[in-house]
Amino acid sequence: MVLDHHHHQWTASPLVGNYADDSTLEREGFDSHDPILNSQGEAYHEDCLVCAQCFRQFPDGVYYEFEGRKYCEYDFQVLYAPCCNKCKEFIVGRVIKAMNTSWHPEHFQCELCGRVLSDIGFMRNQGRALCHPCNDRVKAEAAGKYICYRCKAIIDDKPLKYKNEPYHPYHFTCSNQDCGRELDSDAREIREELYCLRCHDKMGIPICGACRRPVEDRVVTALGKHWHVEHFVCAKCEKPFLGTKHYEKKGLAYCELHYHQLFGNIDFVSGEIIEDICVTALNKTWKPENFVCWSCETPMDERTKFLEMDMLPVCKRCYERFPGELRRRLTRHYEAAQRIRPLAPESTIAHVSSEEYERSMVVSACFPRMCFREESR
Amino acid sequence: MAAKVHKAIQDAQHQGRRDLDLVEKTITSFNEIPQVLSMTHITRLNLAHNKIRVVPPAIAELVNLESLNLYNNYIVELPTSLSGLQRLRVLKLGLNRLDELPRGFGAFPVLEILDLTYNNLSERKLSGNFFMMETLRALYLGDNDFEILPAEVGNLHNLQVLVLRDNDLTSLPKELGQLKSLRELHIEGNRLQVLPPEVGLLDIVGPRQIFRLEDNPWISPIYEQLQIGTNHLMDLLRSANYQSVYARHVQAGGAIPPAIHDKSRKSSRRKD
Ligand SMILES: [Zn+2]
Ligand SMILES: [Zn+2]
Ligand SMILES: [Zn+2]
Ligand SMILES: [Zn+2]
Ligand SMILES: [Zn+2]
Ligand SMILES: [Zn+2]
Ligand SMILES: [Zn+2]
Ligand SMILES: [Zn+2]
Repeated sequence: MVLDHHHHQWTASPLVGNYADDSTLEREGFDSHDPILNSQGEAYHEDCLVCAQCFRQFPDGVYYEFEGRKYCEYDFQVLYAPCCNKCKEFIVGRVIKAMNTSWHPEHFQCELCGRVLSDIGFMRNQGRALCHPCNDRVKAEAAGKYICYRCKAIIDDKPLKYKNEPYHPYHFTCSNQDCGRELDSDAREIREELYCLRCHDKMGIPICGACRRPVEDRVVTALGKHWHVEHFVCAKCEKPFLGTKHYEKKGLAYCELHYHQLFGNIDFVSGEIIEDICVTALNKTWKPENFVCWSCETPMDERTKFLEMDMLPVCKRCYERFPGELRRRLTRHYEAAQRIRPLAPESTIAHVSSEEYERSMVVSACFPRMCFREESR
Repeated sequence: MAAKVHKAIQDAQHQGRRDLDLVEKTITSFNEIPQVLSMTHITRLNLAHNKIRVVPPAIAELVNLESLNLYNNYIVELPTSLSGLQRLRVLKLGLNRLDELPRGFGAFPVLEILDLTYNNLSERKLSGNFFMMETLRALYLGDNDFEILPAEVGNLHNLQVLVLRDNDLTSLPKELGQLKSLRELHIEGNRLQVLPPEVGLLDIVGPRQIFRLEDNPWISPIYEQLQIGTNHLMDLLRSANYQSVYARHVQAGGAIPPAIHDKSRKSSRRKD
């Protein structure tokens, strides 16, 4: 008696789609055997026909044959039926052999998004089975690339950003009706429309030199570039000029204060900007009329010899009137400073007497240098 | 000599000049030059290298004064009215004999440069409002008797130059780190062993900056970096390691090094 309703088929269904080279999908599976009473043309006494494992008669006469031996359903499953790697139950019917193990078709899922992979194919990624979109995304993330927001595939070249999402540029054409060409990554977004660079430039919308976005309202033109009013700022304090005067130097713009502070055109005594000739001495800049002996206020010129106290100029005559103990202390500090940081090549003498100190101060670093204010606008 | 002084004053008056130089004229008192106090149009008065002991309250009559130079005199007393000079921007009182400053001294509305070098001042002798002078760009306090620099120094946010050379400072306040405009700091010749880590934030090391700190009993990490250069010292001050070194040093509160200078021979101490 053949029990048709116990007909089981043990197969591994081939998967649909493209398989990666590293896919270990196994296509061969078990072939089924009909549980029959009359095996391979041979007749058995019903009680002689027993399970090769448990030696009991087959319940309802249903047995499974494998490699010439017959088993009850229970033992056949224990011995030969595959177990689903996900739910750990026996698999009856279609088996998915993948990732070196077996699965119920509905339990072979993408490890990231949970989509069933049995009929759509999968990719092995670091020991995980992933659907194609997830695999692409993971690979793109690892390579620092973007995934196209429209087609979900990796963008290998430069993406085109549109409304803050990355796209393959070829999904778009120029919004200018007369142009309509396919876009590349140089395309520009204006009021949520994309234009090719040529059409964009013809529209005459300037690009801000700071943020690289189009300047649609007030535009400032300076340093050979265009700027948003609020993005044209002092290179030092980063405050926007907002229409106030600025100074340019070496491709950078500065507010009045920082330009003069950085490039040395503030008179130390008056705190005012030096308009024409300035004296540079003692790490400070001076209007010529304010470069005087700190003590007696006698004017000095570029030939006047002077000494330094606390980085202020003191004429020789005044210095000689200073208390001797003060002069000795200044000399001692000077010597100590020499050991730490030689001021000028000619004053590298390790130990100088007080007299030598005065002399070396006169001849070293302290001649005022005349300099001219640099061009500014 | 008196005749020369009067000639100089008369010349200035006749020529309608705005500045008056009376340098090294052996003047001992404003009583010898009473006309000066009525020259209300002058903007600059230079009395350096004289022997003046007292500045009279009437100095405040010179309402247009922008620069007053009293360098190297015998001044022991300043009038309270001095800080009423509404236009004074530069005040030089270096090499005098000031033991204290008058009440309300910090009221100058536009003072930018204040030179008090070589007097007998200390943190206890300043007026209460001294550190309210927010307009100050340069403050010269070298050769005085400060042991502590008050934390209020942090108010002087326009300060570009701070000189504390040859005082008796045993510590510096962390508020120094607030002086964002500072380009010159002179602290040589004190009793400093450590610097607050905040000093590492200052812009005082570079080709246009000055940081002088020799002749202090520095702890060895500071001393060692100083030998290589001030840049290295600044790196040290900014390091996490130094923060804990500093905290431990302050907590331990060890012995303060003794004063180094014998100040009894300073001419600012003379009583004659
Ligand atoms: Zn069995
Ligand atoms: Zn399963
Ligand atoms: Zn997936
Ligand atoms: Zn795409
Ligand atoms: Zn176009
Ligand atoms: Zn911009
Ligand atoms: Zn600025
Ligand atoms: Zn001089």
